[in-house]
Amino acid sequence: MDTKIVHPSSSNRNDAWDPERDDTVVCIDVHQETHDVKSFTFASPQGKWFAFDSGQYFLFDFPLGPDAESRCYSISSSPQRTSTFTVTVKRVAGGKISNWLHDKLASGTTVKAQGPLGHFVRPRGAGRKFLLLSGGSGITPVMSIVRDLADTCEPTDVVFLHAARTPKDLIFREELSNLAGRMKGLRLHFLPEVVAGEPSWAGLTGRISPEFMKLAVPDIAERIVMCCGPAPFMAAARKISAELGVPASSYIEESFDAAVIDETQLSIGEVVTARSFEVEFLKQARTIDVAGEQTVLSCAKKAGLRIPSSCANGVCGTCKSRLVSGSVDMKHNGGIRQREIDAGLFLPCCSKPLSDLVIDR
Amino acid sequence: MLQTFASSISSLLDTRADGHSLPAGLYTREDVFEADIDVFFRKHWICIGLECDVPEPGDATVVDIGNSGLIILRDDDNQVRVVHNVCRHRGSRILNAGSSVISKLVCPYHQWTYELDGELAYAPHMGADFDKSCKSLRPVNFKSIGGLIYACLSDNPPSDIDRLEEAMTERLAPYDIRNTKVAFQADVVEHGNWKLTMENNRECYHCSANHPELCVSFVDLDFGFDPESLSPEDREQAEQHEALYAERTKSWEADGYPSAAVEQLVDCETNFRTQRLIISGAGESQTPDATAASSKLLGTMTRKDLGDTHLWGHNSWNHFMGDHAVVAIVIPLSADKTLVRTKWLVHKDAVEGIDYDLEKLTNVWVATTDQDAELVARSHAGVLDPAYVPGPYSPFSETNLDRFAAWYIDRMRAHGY
Ligand code: FES
Ligand code: FES
Ligand SMILES: [Fe+2]
Repeated sequence: MDTKIVHPSSSNRNDAWDPERDDTVVCIDVHQETHDVKSFTFASPQGKWFAFDSGQYFLFDFPLGPDAESRCYSISSSPQRTSTFTVTVKRVAGGKISNWLHDKLASGTTVKAQGPLGHFVRPRGAGRKFLLLSGGSGITPVMSIVRDLADTCEPTDVVFLHAARTPKDLIFREELSNLAGRMKGLRLHFLPEVVAGEPSWAGLTGRISPEFMKLAVPDIAERIVMCCGPAPFMAAARKISAELGVPASSYIEESFDAAVIDETQLSIGEVVTARSFEVEFLKQARTIDVAGEQTVLSCAKKAGLRIPSSCANGVCGTCKSRLVSGSVDMKHNGGIRQREIDAGLFLPCCSKPLSDLVIDR
Repeated sequence: MLQTFASSISSLLDTRADGHSLPAGLYTREDVFEADIDVFFRKHWICIGLECDVPEPGDATVVDIGNSGLIILRDDDNQVRVVHNVCRHRGSRILNAGSSVISKLVCPYHQWTYELDGELAYAPHMGADFDKSCKSLRPVNFKSIGGLIYACLSDNPPSDIDRLEEAMTERLAPYDIRNTKVAFQADVVEHGNWKLTMENNRECYHCSANHPELCVSFVDLDFGFDPESLSPEDREQAEQHEALYAERTKSWEADGYPSAAVEQLVDCETNFRTQRLIISGAGESQTPDATAASSKLLGTMTRKDLGDTHLWGHNSWNHFMGDHAVVAIVIPLSADKTLVRTKWLVHKDAVEGIDYDLEKLTNVWVATTDQDAELVARSHAGVLDPAYVPGPYSPFSETNLDRFAAWYIDRMRAHGY
């Protein structure tokens, strides 16, 4: 591991980071955000500046073990501050990567990084109203958006709603409170699930619900909703938004779990709390349980159900099936067309359930 | 000295008398049929479809010619492609007959998966050393001429398709056939040899007695007549028509619409003829009353009085009019069965029931195609009869049949028969 500390030199200030050619960044700062969340700030060893959009992410190769491990992390810093960028990572019990980051990644460490990547960026145009909705460490991309708005002093109308397990888990709590005091159009809501550790918590607690939303964001139907968080949170948020009249075209989500969940090893606690859904196979008259983190195909296989398949990777389209009801998070690789999806088809091999499903198989 | 022939078909070709229909065996024999497929449907350019058969990325349609299965598809870059429907693993057919929507071309047998440009993307269980790069689906030579897809299955496609391309690209431009849609398609299997189908289409000698619907808008005299056999009154009319023709052609061309006949019918490899024909009666379109069937005109057409741009090839005939087009493709199925696939094209934004009435649009050629199927079946049945002897073509109204027969014999010889 390279531990030489390299600071950006001013001589190269005019050189931009070129995603096509540049692939090395150096960590220049580590900051403890909460008891289990740290922010890591990176610079280019050559002092190049970074152009990115708030909401984008970087793909890192971390040098653990013989093979590098790849992970994507959303940028939490403002795109207006171009000499560095920051990612914010929550330590996951048993999570190989997040533990390595928390324990080993220090100022001076160089890592490989590709990016910026991703399309979770806010639609531009005058007069747009937003609801930024985040659960847990899903706050990172939307934090970047808020910091961007604060830096540019753009006239804004933003409701920022952040949900977390307890008040202690509210990332960027202080900074957000300060920003809300300064930014004219920013309205802030924190929603811890329970008050554990801070019995004096003055606000509401619980999970997002239509009732809560109606109170907190009465004009939600007029807003562009941008949501990032664990899959069950996003599923709930999407359902509630739709119920309260947010058109699908105004709903944007970062379907990008790796930024949120260190999925290599979930802690026992999280496996237990991870939601599972009922998946019904009409033709075979069977219903199975599928955990939100598993693909429909792999669970079906384990349960002895038959769905023709080949690549298991969303390429070949062999598993294409009709989704009679429910919604899935599908990450295909070209094995299906948008107009087929629009017609109700999906690829079970690369789809995780977001709700109970009925499949015509 | 013993006379030897390249094949038993050669002697049959020799017996064809100038000005006469073909000897029976050329219409009926199995070995001639196989030779025809090889020469006329593999080694010459044939019309196999239209760009608008695959309007959107991911649309694919299968066309079978003899034993060859062709896939016409539109890729993600909106480009039309034609590939063989033969898997590079063990040869299985990839797509079923008819049309489908695809994201990749996946062989149903062992799931070899090809990109829409034919490149092999994924072949499970073939090992790390397996070289996918030389296992793309085999492409087919093709050209889109103004939106009509011409393919040639040989590696040496005839180059004189150029003349057709040159003439038609210009003539078809205002109709913008690429931006049409197939409003209706009719597949009719005629019980006759494909050459009888083509011969029947190349003369209008039979029109006045057999095609009452077509004759409202079509002028049979355009394809020749014997002045002596006409009544004085009809002759006068014919003469007036010829004068009108010359005048119309001149004024159309002056307006920038090429109209005069272009033909390449003998002493050539690619056989075609095009000419802008006058539509009689109301003069607009081939419909029951010769008025336009679609109020949304094709392409950049702003007038309905631009007649009928007709185009023949050796396996198709076409009529392009201001409001719609009729495209017929001929695919031989056996010595005595021929598929005639007719498509009615309208502007791609035209809405049925609002911009056009489907019945009015299709009436004339549905009726005409049925009548012609009947005539071809009669004619094939007669040719099978041992009593059949080739008869003389009319020197006035069947001259194009004589040319077609001459071209046929010539092309067969050129290919070693
Ligand atoms: S198995 Fe290949 S796309 Fe699902
Ligand atoms: S024959 Fe096509 S994959 Fe085996
Ligand atoms: Fe006819």
